[in-house]
Amino acid sequence: MFSSKVVYILRYFDSTGLAESSRILLTAAGVEWTDEHPEWPQEKPNQPHGRMPVLVEKSTDGSPDFVICESSNIERYLARTYGFLPADLKQAALQEQVRDLISDVNGLFTGYVYCQNANDKAMLIAKFESLLDTLIETQTILLKNNGNTGRLFGNSLSYADIVSYGFYINMMINAAQFKPDIANLIKPKLTPELVKLISTAEFDPLTVKHKSKDGSLTAAISA
Amino acid sequence: MATSKDPQYILRYFDRIGVAEGSKLLLSAANVEWIEEHPEWPQEKPNQPFGRMPVLIEKHVDDTDFVICESGNIERYLARAYGFIPSDIRQAAFQEQLRDQASDMFAAFISQLVAKSEEDRRENFAKFDGLLDKLVEVQTKQINANGNNGHLFGDKLSYADIVTYAFYKIIVVGMVKRQANIVDIVRPKLTPQLIKLITAVEANPLLSSYMTRSDSLAAVVTKPTSARL
Repeated sequence: MFSSKVVYILRYFDSTGLAESSRILLTAAGVEWTDEHPEWPQEKPNQPHGRMPVLVEKSTDGSPDFVICESSNIERYLARTYGFLPADLKQAALQEQVRDLISDVNGLFTGYVYCQNANDKAMLIAKFESLLDTLIETQTILLKNNGNTGRLFGNSLSYADIVSYGFYINMMINAAQFKPDIANLIKPKLTPELVKLISTAEFDPLTVKHKSKDGSLTAAISA
Repeated sequence: MATSKDPQYILRYFDRIGVAEGSKLLLSAANVEWIEEHPEWPQEKPNQPFGRMPVLIEKHVDDTDFVICESGNIERYLARAYGFIPSDIRQAAFQEQLRDQASDMFAAFISQLVAKSEEDRRENFAKFDGLLDKLVEVQTKQINANGNNGHLFGDKLSYADIVTYAFYKIIVVGMVKRQANIVDIVRPKLTPQLIKLITAVEANPLLSSYMTRSDSLAAVVTKPTSARL
């Protein structure tokens, strides 16, 4: 893909959060990469949009670093570059819309966490649950239509599989620090098809060596 | 040049300036045949892929439909199909991250609009305000780096130009009925570079048809405020 060696730095907090899908994509791509956990908020001004995650692509041929941000943008870039998103625009769009729905679900949860007032919290957690139900239903239908192989599309590990896994590991394990009962809220909603997606994505030959800070989501679900 | 083989598009959304606006601009700029559909809501919820809108339907003469949803996804699909996003993956990423940032800013705007309590409305407004300031800074820096020619990248109307214009339009024109003070909050923050971009987008020949049906954002943002008189 590149004429000289490329190495990546992924800047984010020391948590799964919004960076985990990018980490899994980097692992699956088989490229050299490291995590960087900048002093925060001191390093805010040094990031393109004053936020993280940030992806730095360094080349050994002396060309300038390529630096991008915004979690779903980073994921799409890596997925396109390393073949986890199809080149066909229509097929790519069918995968990307799943991730965009995930973004909306994440946004509702973040809104819930950061608001103070009980009425607002109640409104937002209700919206979160409702949209999460939509996400689960959507993913389950895709999995069924794809032969319930544990893959959302096609026959091999895809961007859609990875970003779905990244969503669930963050929301079921990492998010417990913000809402302690979140795993008990989500676990009963997981369909058998989704449970299979999670283990298939976690134990794919391309991802099996990935070590997540949150451990194994497959193990956490079957506990 | 459209032929009988070219697809036709239906864009399903509410009859207002909202998150479908970028898609409307792209469909217009692409010069394809397209129409808006305003389904009965919420009755038509179950008939949409994710129970939400916007939805894009691409129809072909052999009667196959291609249906996608999620506003950012629809925009990227159209922008790629019709050449408004560069085929170079890195150049595309620079454009797409601006849309993702603008989308976060808009989500924060909505949070402060719908907050039930005054305390959360104030908190969310502060978040929106901060994101807006940063967005303006990042956009203006990019416009300057591009020579302040009315474009964020290159010298032709791009996806980045369109979605940047769209998000300001949604807030400053689309949302003014729901939050009257938003114009006086946003307008003073817009830099001359951004006003030039907004004006250039509206003046672009590719959008002349769109502009015959849509209110002018440029007219609102170039109106003198009391601070300038």
